[in-house]
Amino acid sequence: MSKSKLSRRSFLKRGAAVTAGASLFPTVVPASVLGLNGAVPPSDRIVMGLVGSGGMGNYDMKQFLQKKETRVVAACDVDNRRLISTKARIDKHYGNNDARIYKDFIDFFDNEKLDAVILALPDHWHSIIAVTAANKGLDIYGEKPLSRTIKEGRAIVDAVQKNNVIWQTGSWQRSVPNFKRAAELVRNGVLGKITHVEVGLPDGRQSIGTPPVKPVPEGVDWDLWLGPAPKVPFRGVLHFNWRWILDYSGGQLTDWAGHHVDIAHWGLGFDDKSPVKIKGKGIYPVNGIYNVPVEYLIEAEYENGLPMTIANARYFVDKRRNGLWPKVGAQNYGMGPVWFGENGWIQVNRSGLWASDPELLKVPEEELKIKLYDSKDHWQNFLDCIKTRKKTITPVETAHNSISVALTGEIAMMTEQELLWDRKTETFTNSDYANRLLSRPFREPWRIPEI
Amino acid sequence: MKNILNLVTIAVVSLMLLNGCSDNKLRALIVTGPDGSGNTAKSALQKILENSGKFNVEIAESPAEGQDMSIYSPDFTSFDVVVLDYIGEKWPSETRERFVKYVKDGGGVLVFGESAYAFPDWDEYGRLIGIGGNRDNSAAPYMYLNGNGEIMTYESINDTVNATTAVHDFVIQVTGSGGPVFEGMNHRWLHLADVLHSDLKLLSDSVTVLAMAYANRKSGGNGKNMPVMAENVFGKGRVFSVFIGCLKEGASPAALQDAGLILAVQRGAEWAATGQVTQQLPEDLPNIAAAFVLPNYKFYSLNDLFVNAKNYEYGKPEKFLYLISNRIRKAKGNKQKLAVFEDKILEVMQSDDATIECKNYLCRDLSSIGTEKSIPVLEKLKENEKTADMARFALERIKSSLNK
Repeated sequence: MSKSKLSRRSFLKRGAAVTAGASLFPTVVPASVLGLNGAVPPSDRIVMGLVGSGGMGNYDMKQFLQKKETRVVAACDVDNRRLISTKARIDKHYGNNDARIYKDFIDFFDNEKLDAVILALPDHWHSIIAVTAANKGLDIYGEKPLSRTIKEGRAIVDAVQKNNVIWQTGSWQRSVPNFKRAAELVRNGVLGKITHVEVGLPDGRQSIGTPPVKPVPEGVDWDLWLGPAPKVPFRGVLHFNWRWILDYSGGQLTDWAGHHVDIAHWGLGFDDKSPVKIKGKGIYPVNGIYNVPVEYLIEAEYENGLPMTIANARYFVDKRRNGLWPKVGAQNYGMGPVWFGENGWIQVNRSGLWASDPELLKVPEEELKIKLYDSKDHWQNFLDCIKTRKKTITPVETAHNSISVALTGEIAMMTEQELLWDRKTETFTNSDYANRLLSRPFREPWRIPEI
Repeated sequence: MKNILNLVTIAVVSLMLLNGCSDNKLRALIVTGPDGSGNTAKSALQKILENSGKFNVEIAESPAEGQDMSIYSPDFTSFDVVVLDYIGEKWPSETRERFVKYVKDGGGVLVFGESAYAFPDWDEYGRLIGIGGNRDNSAAPYMYLNGNGEIMTYESINDTVNATTAVHDFVIQVTGSGGPVFEGMNHRWLHLADVLHSDLKLLSDSVTVLAMAYANRKSGGNGKNMPVMAENVFGKGRVFSVFIGCLKEGASPAALQDAGLILAVQRGAEWAATGQVTQQLPEDLPNIAAAFVLPNYKFYSLNDLFVNAKNYEYGKPEKFLYLISNRIRKAKGNKQKLAVFEDKILEVMQSDDATIECKNYLCRDLSSIGTEKSIPVLEKLKENEKTADMARFALERIKSSLNK
């Protein structure tokens, strides 16, 4: 993994505000791991690090800690408190005090000799850090959504392809039998010709009003947390709840499209297809610090004329109330994809798998000719692919394709126009106004590193 | 010159004739008690109705408690809609009879707040309002709504259930189509600092609930959907009821300042008066995402938004900025409309009395709609350290678009 060291200059002179060399503990020589009982010799272990040690980062890390062929050695976060608890978790697992922690990802990438990295950051940081990691030649387990904007997603795809690194997206539903079975049934034509698809995602969060400016919690580098996003004072919204602010995320829509739109595409065989037309309507807050739409309705149309409706679950619950949507069990609160075809419908979500006629779900697996990618463990699939150098079940191109539906839909909501999308150039052909929203200007000195 | 003056005079006179002395407006009478009698919404109701531009409003205050009620006899028939904000003593029988006749003959009524609890032993009033409380002697059943907004009834109320919830925020949900009053509005919106009633009874079969809210147990509710707005017919008359807006002690005036409640009163009163709603919806509508509060009971003009936005600071309401962004979205890419917003934003950007926070926020909107004429203004903002980042943000998008 001998890629040139990251040049700090690649981010220009970052000034005194972002302190250089912010690792909290002196870098130490990696401890010998010979004493461990793993079956994999240390030299063959996949050495991993974590950037973004919040809820998802720690969850993913836990999965990898449990694998015999990995060794998690370092973590990076802008929040000391999280770094300390994450280090404790790693050290507890290995029974030592060896985990290294960093506040500044540049130091992290410069100092650590990794094979792979877990990226679990707020969306506005995805492109810079993913491209940095890919340029370093690291294989990447990257949390969804792939990116905050279409152009950032494209940059990540290019960086992964050019550096020939393995990418797995945190769209783990593809590694769950329920979802695979649904997608495989649909893909094999059990429903006949598909007439339309509807995808329910969670309802938005209600407002918390207008919090005042607050002191930044001790140990948090707020300016670095903001990074490329516009500079604003700290007002209490940090971990997890950044998702309700447009500078950092598109809300539930962009969070969940990487799951349920991703599965809808899988069933359709649409991993290389995009809507050609898209329009949307969002319910945006009239006040409060949260400003993502809490209700949203996106109507897309694919090149073969296939319509797909994506909305917050409540929309489908209302539809069901009016008898216009499948009525299938109380647990099924309007979530997940429903494929409608000539022979009925199939719906899948985390609570189960349903069909208009239960017989549709009984087709034996042997009769399904088209076999979808099989993975029973999303994290293991990543490790397997690191060894085989084959594509993961959710490679970067797929992640980009899936989230692009939400990101173009978000732009359709922001412009309230029916937009025409050209997949080849990744631009809208009928709105300059919309095209401006395909990227977000970065605050200086941040930029996506050269690929 | 003289001729022109004459023409003007004639025009003015004929306009006056055309409109009549009532300016063509509907006549509303607020029937209420004196100050301090617990009928606290009257001045708000007056402003709400007048601000619609649709009503001339008069107020008929009843005598104070203990004083001679027999003289209280408003002339209902001179009005198109009688707005009840009344929880006081029973009217004299002659007044009651004239009120019933007024409604039966086609008069409109808007029942507001605690008025649904008035006159507990006047049965005909109960049938007229259709849904009401404080009617212990009535054989009528208690009521709530199922998930589909259909009226459900039950005979006796559990002793442990409070009649009203604590003051809390809740979501108002329009049921069914909502009819003309709610046409074009979002069918869910967040309502602030108010109470819901758990002890309402169904007093007429002709009543239709138009909006409901869930009275959650955590806030002292009965765990059921309860009506917040309803319509009824009584003879030829139409009755529109609003069961919220009860300003109990400690409640916030925000309940009455809710844009959704304001629209319901304005449009419900017109519907009660005429059977239709001709008022145009305002540009800014309440929704479920966050409360939309109008402290002066008045919707905003575009100018109001920009004037207020200029004062934005972190930690102060984002409302005016967000409403500008919402309106820009609603312009749907229309170049003429967007040009108006660009001009307004540029005016703010160059104004010394607009805050840095306001300018920085508006750079986001300007980035997507700005044209060549924004460039010099932004270049200037770039020279100021405090606005430089966001000016660059806007310039980057505008320039990349112009370079195509």
